[in-house]
Amino acid sequence: MRDWQPFLGLPLWVWLFVFPTLFAFFCLLQRDRAARLLRPIWKTLDRIYLGCGVVAACFMVLILLLIVGQMVARWSSMTFPGSTEYAGYAMAATSFFALAYTLTRGGHIRVSIFLNLNKFTRLWMDIAAMLIAAWTATYFARYAVKTNIFSKMLNDRTQGQDYVPEWLLSFFAMFATWPTEWAKLWAETGSEWVYTPVWLPQLPMSIGTILLAIAIWDYLFRLLVNRESSIGGETL
Amino acid sequence: MTEIYATGVFLFVLFALLGGSVWIGLALMGVAWVGMELFTSRPAGDAMITTIWTGASSWTLTALPLFIWMGEILYRTRLSQDMFRGLAPWMRYLPGGLLHTNIAGCTIFAAVSGSSAATLNMVGKMSIPELRARGYPEFMIIGTLAGAATLGLMIPPSLTLIVYGVTVNESITKLFMAGIFPGLVLSGLFMTYIVFWHFFSKGQKPDPEPPMSLGKRFAESRFLIPLFVLVFLVIGSMYMGYATATEAAAVGVIGALALSAAQGSLTWETFSQSLMGATRTSAMIAFILMGAAFLSLSMGFTGLPRALAEFIDGLNLSPIALIAVLTLFYLILGMFMDGLSSVVLTMAIVEPMIRQAGIDVIWFGIFLVVVIETAQVTPPIGFNLFVLQGMTRHEISYIAKTAIPMVGLMLLMVVILVVWPELATWLPENIRSGPGE
Repeated sequence: MRDWQPFLGLPLWVWLFVFPTLFAFFCLLQRDRAARLLRPIWKTLDRIYLGCGVVAACFMVLILLLIVGQMVARWSSMTFPGSTEYAGYAMAATSFFALAYTLTRGGHIRVSIFLNLNKFTRLWMDIAAMLIAAWTATYFARYAVKTNIFSKMLNDRTQGQDYVPEWLLSFFAMFATWPTEWAKLWAETGSEWVYTPVWLPQLPMSIGTILLAIAIWDYLFRLLVNRESSIGGETL
Repeated sequence: MTEIYATGVFLFVLFALLGGSVWIGLALMGVAWVGMELFTSRPAGDAMITTIWTGASSWTLTALPLFIWMGEILYRTRLSQDMFRGLAPWMRYLPGGLLHTNIAGCTIFAAVSGSSAATLNMVGKMSIPELRARGYPEFMIIGTLAGAATLGLMIPPSLTLIVYGVTVNESITKLFMAGIFPGLVLSGLFMTYIVFWHFFSKGQKPDPEPPMSLGKRFAESRFLIPLFVLVFLVIGSMYMGYATATEAAAVGVIGALALSAAQGSLTWETFSQSLMGATRTSAMIAFILMGAAFLSLSMGFTGLPRALAEFIDGLNLSPIALIAVLTLFYLILGMFMDGLSSVVLTMAIVEPMIRQAGIDVIWFGIFLVVVIETAQVTPPIGFNLFVLQGMTRHEISYIAKTAIPMVGLMLLMVVILVVWPELATWLPENIRSGPGE
């Protein structure tokens, strides 16, 4: 527990693991009150998951376009520097953005042989499994964000031949700086292209894993409140 | 002693999480974390993200979503139905009749789709009602379908082979090429079985089909030809070295879009459905691969793979005995797990073992696919059986019984692969060198 710095006076792990777990207990014991509290945000959350699924789909189309571009460039004997890197980034973005969406549509697979034994295991084993999954996903998200922040601090650059325009970096950096600093940020932004800093393609990883963790906690709470899984099944 | 104790804890957590129905990707991550904490003082979280990021953003992986998407397009538009209809006129005079459409349909659909569940669903939806209406025995309809659907993972493109190739760091193009001949041989075995059944069984046989003119046959199969062109384009471009696996996949997606547009079944609805469906499947597999990447890192620290490889080495097993043991092992594992998970879960341990024993890694990939697919048609957990159950409403035990002859044929295929390894290794050794591979 050495690298869990305090946040608002409490260690970070208390915020990330203990409080959500306590809330899960609250959902278990006080179903009606929890339901009143949670029901209004369910619809919004579902829209966010779907929205990220659509973003993921867009990145999949982007992979296709990048690869077609690469082929066309080769046939017309031009070069498309860094195309494999760009495609790799798009691949990561597709996978990470779609994680939560896939979860809510029942797309992720699990070994359900014991789960389907009877009604009792159907509920309680699902609860236990989702709690463990929620902890793991929270851990995953926490370190994804940490790695992303470190990449920015160390100014880690790509190993390949891929460039991005500097204004794109400044645009995303705006979200991490105070509005008072924005003028300074844009004043320092040149118009040339620079080697891709690793933090930029890592952003989808942070967003996707955070969303996955939220989705699993969310569906755990729904399971505890409704006493039946809200995850839609899908054939195939 | 503490080492053994720690290994015990590690394995216990592995089975507890997987059996406890935690999603496979997260279960693998959880186990890997336990392994890191038990066996090394390296910071687990940072190592985890570094490994996962490298794996998730790799160029090799980009073939995965594109091949899935290509299959989805053909599956959700009317293209595959027409393909099936076009196939039937050519099969009707063979001994065993239209039962052969099950096999041929699966073989062709396998060449455009990477998953056996999708193959089964597609072909089954078309063929079961038709064959039933013509009075073919139920036992044969279900059995041949259950067996032939497994070709979906054998004949390129194959999702299992992509996952295997990414896990063991081998060329996906080579693995795809290696799957072609064994896939065709297996398909031939199934067809031979139908012919044998036709001549030797005493049960009911449907009446022969009325004759059909050659012109009508070609008219019926007009969508078969462009699809064949697409298949040849995808596989041929890889074989000739014009394109990498990913580029061939991109060609496949564009070709599938163009064909379905030409046929008039490409609507905004089918397009978005295929795209979102592909996004889900691709994310599901990518998630498992993320967990597997972290697990194999952690496995390395536990010393388990090395110890097992040394143990196997110390036994002085011949490669054939090793293969026999592994066949049994994967059959048992496949009873409880789906194919993809059993590949990613075991490769960290099995890979050093087979490299030590001097077994060709490409060949092993094909062997693995056959064995894992056999496990998918054996109870209690057989994914193909579940799909068939959903489609036909038969008891799972009945479906499993109909598939027994197919399981026998697939085990025969394993033997054939062991006796003639060239079946898998010849083609990949003879491809032209491709761009950037």
